[in-house]
Amino acid sequence: MNHCVPDFEFEMDDDEYPMPTASGLPRQKKPSLPEDDIMELLWQNGQVVMQSQNQRPQRKPPPDRYTDSVIPAGSSTAREIRPSQQLEQHYQNQHIFMQEDEMISWLHYPIVDDPPLDHNFCADILYPQSPTVNNSSMQNPDRARQATQLRQPSRSVAPRPPIPPPRKPEQVQTMIPNFAHFSKHNARVEAGPSSSKAAMKESTVVDSCDTPALMASASRVSETFRNTAERDEAPGTLSTAGAAAPSSTSVGGDTGFRETTTCEMMAMSSPEGSSGGVEPARRPPSEDRKRKGREADESECHSEDVYVESAEVKKQNCGSSSTKRSRAAEVHNLSERRRRDRINEKMRALQELIPRCNKSDKASMLDEAIEYLKSLQLQVQMMSMGCGMVPMMFPGIQQYMPTMGMGMGMGMEMGMNRPLMPFPNMLAASAMPAAAAVAQLGPRFPMPPFQMPHAPQPDSSRMQAAAPNQPENNTLPSLVTPDPNQSRIPNFNDPYQQCLGPHHQMHLQFMQNQVTNNPTVSKSNTSKSHENAENNQPGQPE
Amino acid sequence: MSSRRSRQQSSSTRISDDQIIELVSKLRQLVPEIRDRRSSKVSASKVLQETCNYIRNLHREVDDLSERLSQLLSTIDADSAEASIIRSLINQ
Repeated sequence: MNHCVPDFEFEMDDDEYPMPTASGLPRQKKPSLPEDDIMELLWQNGQVVMQSQNQRPQRKPPPDRYTDSVIPAGSSTAREIRPSQQLEQHYQNQHIFMQEDEMISWLHYPIVDDPPLDHNFCADILYPQSPTVNNSSMQNPDRARQATQLRQPSRSVAPRPPIPPPRKPEQVQTMIPNFAHFSKHNARVEAGPSSSKAAMKESTVVDSCDTPALMASASRVSETFRNTAERDEAPGTLSTAGAAAPSSTSVGGDTGFRETTTCEMMAMSSPEGSSGGVEPARRPPSEDRKRKGREADESECHSEDVYVESAEVKKQNCGSSSTKRSRAAEVHNLSERRRRDRINEKMRALQELIPRCNKSDKASMLDEAIEYLKSLQLQVQMMSMGCGMVPMMFPGIQQYMPTMGMGMGMGMEMGMNRPLMPFPNMLAASAMPAAAAVAQLGPRFPMPPFQMPHAPQPDSSRMQAAAPNQPENNTLPSLVTPDPNQSRIPNFNDPYQQCLGPHHQMHLQFMQNQVTNNPTVSKSNTSKSHENAENNQPGQPE
Repeated sequence: MSSRRSRQQSSSTRISDDQIIELVSKLRQLVPEIRDRRSSKVSASKVLQETCNYIRNLHREVDDLSERLSQLLSTIDADSAEASIIRSLINQ
């Protein structure tokens, strides 16, 4: 928004400047304003000059360019930049701002103005108490007064946002006519309380153009001001004086000074404070609240913290020990509940991921999840190995088939699968538990490797026999993968089976039998037939 | 009655809690992400979350690998043993 600053200088004089403002409404109404003979109070050459807005059509283009996007910001910044001649622009800006819902942070601008101006400036803001109450009704006049007051001191105070953010366009319109009134001091009185309120609103508006933020900050600022004002003097008096002070440049009266003093302090602190403190203060709380709400919804990890915070806040508010204890208990329950909800939610998600999971019991569901995860890991391993192996076509692999005998197969396999050496071990290791698990779980995770041996002797038949089972095999079929030659697949088991003790082999075979329907049911027969099948392979049985 | 209920509840809760603890530890061992990090205290929800993510990743890997295998299948002789292996892998 500061980029447009230079351009805004010209825009100030424009009637249309406010028109093409960001908010459409104000713009629309703005055109009507000139027709209504809106008198603008311009600060020209150190004097407040009333001009009809129609008189200033200059520099429309520049403003138009920026109005849509930058108007509020630009005008405010522009004001800041031009201390003196800006008064006119301020007025214009004020009009603009009045129409603009967004308020600018005139507070941002360092107040390098004369003390009197500051006093006047602050006075309005500082004594928003009554205005706060009357704010709604007095908004229009307030703004106008603000503008007026601002104008006068604006000479030195460049950035003074002309008018409290005109929350409503209609208010702006009303303000315009009132604007003329405010050139007079009489308006000050009425404007005082409301203007202060408006000023407060303006000040609160500060950087953010958010009306709600403004309100929040406004309330905060008003409180601050109120406290400050009360400390020093009667609010009414101060406000009046403050209102009076700004209205008349010459106001430097005792009351004004008193207020100015106060206002000055407030002003100094408020612009920065409000800008820095109010806004940040305003935003963090709201943001914190929003954050808390978001966190409660989104981040499960932080939900407990949120609850704890809220509970703690409640505790603090109550301030009673018993309440604290109850709060603590509540917090604990809440956190516990949140934790359980999170866990249940995760369990449901996990259940959805697991295929064919019809368990409603948590424990069994977790069991299945574990098994599924293992099988999935195996599958991925096998497939990746297969991807790596297939391209590595060993030209004479076929001849190794027959060699996949009892011991030879293992040696050959190990040799061929040198790069995959670790994998077979892993597979064997994982195959055992997987096999056991599979046996327990039933055919859900059939193990093709075990099926392979049971297939008829010919490799092709073995493959075919295994193939139908493949779809059901999630885990161990992958064991076959590393062997480019499918005939080696059964051998794959053999080496391991041979590695294992005979009882292991029998166990494996037994499990295989359980898992798959094999013609060779007998344990010993299976292994023997398997071996025989291997030996019978077209090749060199060994 | 109430005692029975409470007992049942407590027993079931105890069982569930123990089971859940055991299963969560198992899952923790399986999921490398949790296993590698300092797992002195990992909440159950965290483990479950990581497991879900891990399973999704594995699914994605399986899909990618299946696609690669399919491509490989097209490049080699369809009648070869490798092709059959690849097919078996893909059909898992």
